[in-house]
Amino acid sequence: MSKGTVFNIEEFAVHDGPGIRKLVFFKGCPLRCSWCHNPEGLSFCKELMISHAACIKCNRCKEICTNEVCIACGKCVEVCPLRLRKIAGREYEAQELAEILLKGKEVLTDSGGGITISGGEPLSQPEFLFNLIDFIKPVNIAIETSGYAEPEIFQKMVSVTDLVMMDIKHTDNLIHKQFTGVSNELILANLGFLCQSDTPFIIRIPLIPGVNDTITNIEQTAVLIKDAGKLEGVELLTYHKTAPAKYQMLGKEFKPGFDTEKKVNIWSAVFDKHNIKVSLL
Amino acid sequence: MKKRIRILLDNVIQKKHHQFRQNIEKEALEDFTRSLKEQDLPDVQRAKLRLSWVMAHEIPVILTDERIVFTKTVTKIPEIFTSKEWDRIKSNHYIHEMGRVCNISSNFSYTIEVGLEKRRLEVIKAIETQTARGNRKGIEFLEAVLQSIEDVLRLSERYALKARDNGREDLYLLLQNIPKKGAKTFHEALQFFRILHFTLWASGNYHNTVGRFDQYMYEYLKNDLDNGTLDYEDALELLEEFFISFNKDSDLYPGMQQGDNGQSMVLGGIDRKGDDSFNILSEMCLKASLELKIIDPKINLRVNKNTPVEQYDLGTELTKEGLGFPQYSNDDIVIPGLLSKGYNIEDARDYVVAACWEFIIPGYGMDIPNITALSFVKVINRAVNNHLIRSKDFDTFMENVRKEISVELTHLTILLYNIYFEPAPFQSLLMNDCIDNAQDISQGNRYNNYGIHGTGISTAVDSLAAIKKFVFDERSVSAKDLIQAVSDNFEGHYDLWVKLKYHTPRMGNDDDAADNIAIRLLDFFSELSSRLVNERGGCYRPGTGSAMYYLWHVKDIGASADGRKQGEPLSANFSPGLNIKLNGPVSIIRSFSKPDMKKIMNGGPLTLELHNTVFNNPGSIRKVSSLVKAYMDLGGQQLQINAVNREKLIQAKKHPEQYKNLIVRVWGWSGYFVELDELYQDHIIQRTELEL
Ligand code: SF4
Ligand code: SF4
Repeated sequence: MSKGTVFNIEEFAVHDGPGIRKLVFFKGCPLRCSWCHNPEGLSFCKELMISHAACIKCNRCKEICTNEVCIACGKCVEVCPLRLRKIAGREYEAQELAEILLKGKEVLTDSGGGITISGGEPLSQPEFLFNLIDFIKPVNIAIETSGYAEPEIFQKMVSVTDLVMMDIKHTDNLIHKQFTGVSNELILANLGFLCQSDTPFIIRIPLIPGVNDTITNIEQTAVLIKDAGKLEGVELLTYHKTAPAKYQMLGKEFKPGFDTEKKVNIWSAVFDKHNIKVSLL
Repeated sequence: MKKRIRILLDNVIQKKHHQFRQNIEKEALEDFTRSLKEQDLPDVQRAKLRLSWVMAHEIPVILTDERIVFTKTVTKIPEIFTSKEWDRIKSNHYIHEMGRVCNISSNFSYTIEVGLEKRRLEVIKAIETQTARGNRKGIEFLEAVLQSIEDVLRLSERYALKARDNGREDLYLLLQNIPKKGAKTFHEALQFFRILHFTLWASGNYHNTVGRFDQYMYEYLKNDLDNGTLDYEDALELLEEFFISFNKDSDLYPGMQQGDNGQSMVLGGIDRKGDDSFNILSEMCLKASLELKIIDPKINLRVNKNTPVEQYDLGTELTKEGLGFPQYSNDDIVIPGLLSKGYNIEDARDYVVAACWEFIIPGYGMDIPNITALSFVKVINRAVNNHLIRSKDFDTFMENVRKEISVELTHLTILLYNIYFEPAPFQSLLMNDCIDNAQDISQGNRYNNYGIHGTGISTAVDSLAAIKKFVFDERSVSAKDLIQAVSDNFEGHYDLWVKLKYHTPRMGNDDDAADNIAIRLLDFFSELSSRLVNERGGCYRPGTGSAMYYLWHVKDIGASADGRKQGEPLSANFSPGLNIKLNGPVSIIRSFSKPDMKKIMNGGPLTLELHNTVFNNPGSIRKVSSLVKAYMDLGGQQLQINAVNREKLIQAKKHPEQYKNLIVRVWGWSGYFVELDELYQDHIIQRTELEL
């Protein structure tokens, strides 16, 4: 029996796979994409989040805290009269989490839906993930992943999942490293496996202005996947200028490293050319 | 949408037809009322003369390119009693709202089918019958009905002449056929309906519902399509013009708020024989509403376990527009509910909704489904103050809650005696049996049941769940402390408030700790109201609607044991409490389908709020449809979804505590709007600005 950390559960995720789906976010990710919009999904540990906008500076939170450095104990959450503080991240036993996700499962299954596991990076808590999947099956499972995982883990995931939704951020290794902190070799190798597999999949590209919205990168990405039998389509996610707020809530700084004001190129015609279904989310 | 319709619609939106409205002096109205008094006329004759007065004052208006005519130019309707007379009536009668027949569903179809000349003969024959019986009152009533028919025919004739003067031979010919004769074509039937509906408003009746339009108009459409009189596009064009006509005069109709005018149309569901009835006209109505995007008529969809998800999709397309409809009602729950209250099976299958959501029967129902309202929070607070300290366990306490509900119901219904309505001769013509029985509809009909709304149900349930958990199960809060904290509006009780507010099991979270209490509470409501009989021999129907009572009731309750502070709103209708964060829509529909809704059969929808970005791609339409379908399959009774719009977002920013469950799409992810920092919120508001 294994434990894992989760930072959110949503009940009506409409953009994350077919039918009515519950969506669970695993906490922790090995990548550090400079544009990440879910920064509370980066660390594997629990974290305190504070919404500063409405704070009345009553100091109750400071009075109760006994720690020099925050240990995310949660004591201050209860005392804030405006509920501006919360702990992102909670530990669950796989079975306990499965029970929560499966509650009302007929609503999910009758609609052709199921459960989507996202993150953070779900493959970074592999034991917990596979344990959870064992409990959830046979309900339809979709996984949203960066593809950054040991091939063995990735391949096992593909074999037990009904739909894979995988990000491709850049085909150029140097740029990939610069903006995500890791090499794309592992990711592309896993993509290769996915393209040969029998599991339906969707490729997602977060379009970042000046980083990966070049015709070359888009063309190369399309070429990598165009012959895959089980590719259902490509989803392009455009960057919105809202990412910084959550960094503030975590006491972190948002350093995108690209011009957030710049207009992004969409290039969806490239996918049309290769007969790949493409949609803009 | 055809160009002609676009122009008609724009003209109505720009209120161009208001130029034809007459400025009738207040004195003229008062003179009329005074003359009735001076002649010392009985009420039936007064009602008769009022309609004649209004119809005679109408000036026919034919707007450019209009094919369905009748526009109100008389903006006010005179009273039939002076205010002194009203005071006297009120002193020994119960008066419902304005004292006029309202909120029922007419049988339009029979009159449209046979025409007013035939109806006139029927009334004349009835007068003969009643004369033989020496029934003076009956004769007086029937003569008033007869006069109302004359009034309609006369105004129609004036419209016909006006049409000829305007060179509109087509309209002239149309008005030579109807309303004298029965309608032969779809166009005639629509125009006929318009005349009857117009006359109902002119006679002072209000919340004049539309009923099962797709059923009683279907044959006309089908014939026209079959014999080539119309093609689909022509028919849609006529239907759209007809829909626009509901919006011409609606600002003049009485109601609590603009838009509260009762023009509800019901589509689909099973027919009187039990067969599915969704047809090409049902679909056409949804399409017309979707193209026009106007608030009238208000669309209701009847569904059941056999309703295909594609039908829900058509409804969801409308929801997406943010109009606040369709509202869905579940045949599988509503019909057994009506049967249990003595409705016969064919009538039950024919149910429609009244102005808001209450289930009524076209032609036969003189139910008053919104006669009073039970404030659950008030009852619970009284039980807490009077009995909590002495209750040894939760069950004992619940027994006391039951007693308090019983006391409150008696208190509410004891007032409802010697009810009086102004007679409604023309409305009576459009109800079954009134002519044969020579009895005005205001005196009652086959069904004379009263409905009791229930407000603050989720707040009451949450309060009880808090009491069970903290006072009885955990014993972590004493009854005394809880009572004190609630009466102090939680001032000086911060820790206790946090506990109640954030650690109470909530209705809407699919948590049996709360939901089992909801089941019990609503069972009390149905069981106790089933023991009551009204003065017309009808029953009382418990419901989960709130109407405006949820705002009214909040004024005379203080704080509540769920951590709600004084003055914080209750949710409308059958919906989760407002100031709490819930797990999400799947949990909500599960919670709200657990009580036996066949028993709580007066109606009152669960309202779900989804942000309109949820509807962004074609796939998500189906997902929302599936959610609605799931609620119905689970045994839910009635549901309405709001696609939340920009105004709401701005409100949500100002009053985040009231919008905790508002879901928004941000960037590749969804979140709760109020949890977002200001930057996100502003961004989303800006985004909606761009979309508009
Ligand atoms: S969670 Fe709050 S109370 Fe706990 S260590 Fe962090 S700041 Fe202090
Ligand atoms: S308790 Fe809340 S409101 Fe008070 S200072 Fe801390 S964060 Fe601000």
